[in-house]
Amino acid sequence: MRLLTKTTLNLLSISLFIYLFGVIAFYYSLRLQVDGKVNTEMEKRKNSIVRQMEEAHSSVSQPPGRSEMVLIKPVDKTGSQDHYADTLIYSKEEHRYQLYRQLAFTETVNDQSFEVRIFKSLEETDSLIVSIIMTMTILVILLILTLLIVNRYSSRMVWSAFYDTIEKINRYDLNAHEDFALQDSDVKEFSELNRVLHAMTERIKNDYLNLKEYTENASHEIQTPLAIINSKLELLLQSGEMNEKQYKALADAYEASIRLSKYNSTLILLAKIENKQFPESKMVSPEAILKGLLENLEDLIRSKKIEVVKQIDPEVRLMMNPYLAEMLIVNLVKNAVRHNVKGGRLLVEVTSTCIRISNTGSGVSADENLLFKRFYKSTTSPESLGLGLAIVQKICALYGFEIAYQFREQMHCMTVVYNKNAGTDLNRSIS
Amino acid sequence: MKILIIEDEKTLSDAIVEYLDGEGHLCEVVYNFEESIEKIELYEYDCMVVDINLPDGSGLDLIRLVKKKSIAVGIIIVSARNSLDNRIEGLEIGADHYLTKPFHLAELNAHLKSIHRRISFNGNNELVLNEIKLIPDEHRAFVLDQELVLTKKEYELLLFFISNKNKIITKAGLAEHLWGDHMDAADSYDFIYTHIKNLRRELLKKGCKDYIKTIYGLGYKFDLS
Repeated sequence: MRLLTKTTLNLLSISLFIYLFGVIAFYYSLRLQVDGKVNTEMEKRKNSIVRQMEEAHSSVSQPPGRSEMVLIKPVDKTGSQDHYADTLIYSKEEHRYQLYRQLAFTETVNDQSFEVRIFKSLEETDSLIVSIIMTMTILVILLILTLLIVNRYSSRMVWSAFYDTIEKINRYDLNAHEDFALQDSDVKEFSELNRVLHAMTERIKNDYLNLKEYTENASHEIQTPLAIINSKLELLLQSGEMNEKQYKALADAYEASIRLSKYNSTLILLAKIENKQFPESKMVSPEAILKGLLENLEDLIRSKKIEVVKQIDPEVRLMMNPYLAEMLIVNLVKNAVRHNVKGGRLLVEVTSTCIRISNTGSGVSADENLLFKRFYKSTTSPESLGLGLAIVQKICALYGFEIAYQFREQMHCMTVVYNKNAGTDLNRSIS
Repeated sequence: MKILIIEDEKTLSDAIVEYLDGEGHLCEVVYNFEESIEKIELYEYDCMVVDINLPDGSGLDLIRLVKKKSIAVGIIIVSARNSLDNRIEGLEIGADHYLTKPFHLAELNAHLKSIHRRISFNGNNELVLNEIKLIPDEHRAFVLDQELVLTKKEYELLLFFISNKNKIITKAGLAEHLWGDHMDAADSYDFIYTHIKNLRRELLKKGCKDYIKTIYGLGYKFDLS
């Protein structure tokens, strides 16, 4: 829930709660006052009635209005207290009960006790109270609404700097090389937040740039000595004055230095993918990449007697960095060729939702958790770098693709899903 | 062929010169940007091997300068930077090849040979070595005027051997030449063996001498001696 909504809701519920109690309290205090007023009036009336009774002995003048009635009847007992009460009396004209205030007392005139009841209609005062409360309610509701609107508007003004900051942090890309400019705010807390954020991003950016520079320098600095080692070893080979043992040692050293340089360049590639240093994208055709790749590996595939089955949709285009697209497909196919068995099958599928490379393999399923780990090697090819699938996974993560491994019907399947919305069924059977 | 090698790492440029020695080339070495400009303006070269990262400038600028002056020279870039951008930029401004450090000297030599062929014969050339004749533009090979039946890779293999005749070529170097970065070297050794076997059989069948020698599991040598 947004802060603004939350505060508004809080304000609304609390003010409604207070208002409800206020109205009830107001109503009762109003009633109390009205009742007091009526009581005083009835007291006055009582006095006038007593006076009239004493003067006129039993005859009492008619009550002055229809809002008032006086009942006098002789009783035996004497001297009871004044008794006030609310009572309902049926009105014949209105055909309903109406609220009356009643004052009952006994008065003794010439040794004869009379019970006198004075009724005073509360109908009018009651409707007055109701209309007062109604007016109040409307006023208060209008007040609350106005307050809410004003509050919301002013909050929005105040918080706009904050939302702007959040939006900017969300879109912030270390690689974008753009300035992290935050909207100024006259609220101290927000300007403080912006200042701290600015300092933080500057620091992170500097660290990041240093690291990036280090990676690039490391690459350059390591590759050059490696180039020297390799070329010197290659020269040494040409000298032709060595025995078999020396050749063997030289060959091992040469082999190791080649591997070291491959590790180096692959790890740098992984770091570059992680750092998103491949920003430029264009439409690439998996079909074109696969065509070139399968041509290049043609002899390899033939010598392993692998049957290649292609189901490629030539219309498919991916918005990717071309180099990474090639790395992705090359590594998948390379793996499928390497782990294939003699006379096995290589199935290459490209659809609008996914690329799937399947190969016949040994009967055991690989451990999916280990598969994408760096330097994980299956027992069948100990010389491989063990970085191919790590690269594939990194590229997939960069573009939000999903990669899945399955082992079915003696086939190892690698599926890269790039169009999740189309709802690919991973379990679709291989035709 | 006159070659100018522009590489600030002295040991590396020395190794290049030594490898190219005996190939009939005249190699000159410079170690920085300034010197190379002097050399280019004073002398004529058939080919330049340029390192991009020079202590006092960029090899790319050097290539731009050469192209601006319309100097006809073959250009091979050697660079520690393996990014696609650099590669594309280098080739776009007119370099013939782009090699990433560390590279195999045999690979560099093969590229120099192909530039040499292009310059010397204007492209329409035949490459003759004893009884073997290659027509690089058509990817065809002959032994005693009989055409060899070779796959594309086997043809490339033969060309690479002839470019680096009498030199030991490592399996890793062969693998990289044939498959580029697409194959881990270790994977492809079996396939190299298969290719070599086929190539040798085809050469022998057409009456060629057995030039391809295996060197202790280390590599191969196209031995004319």
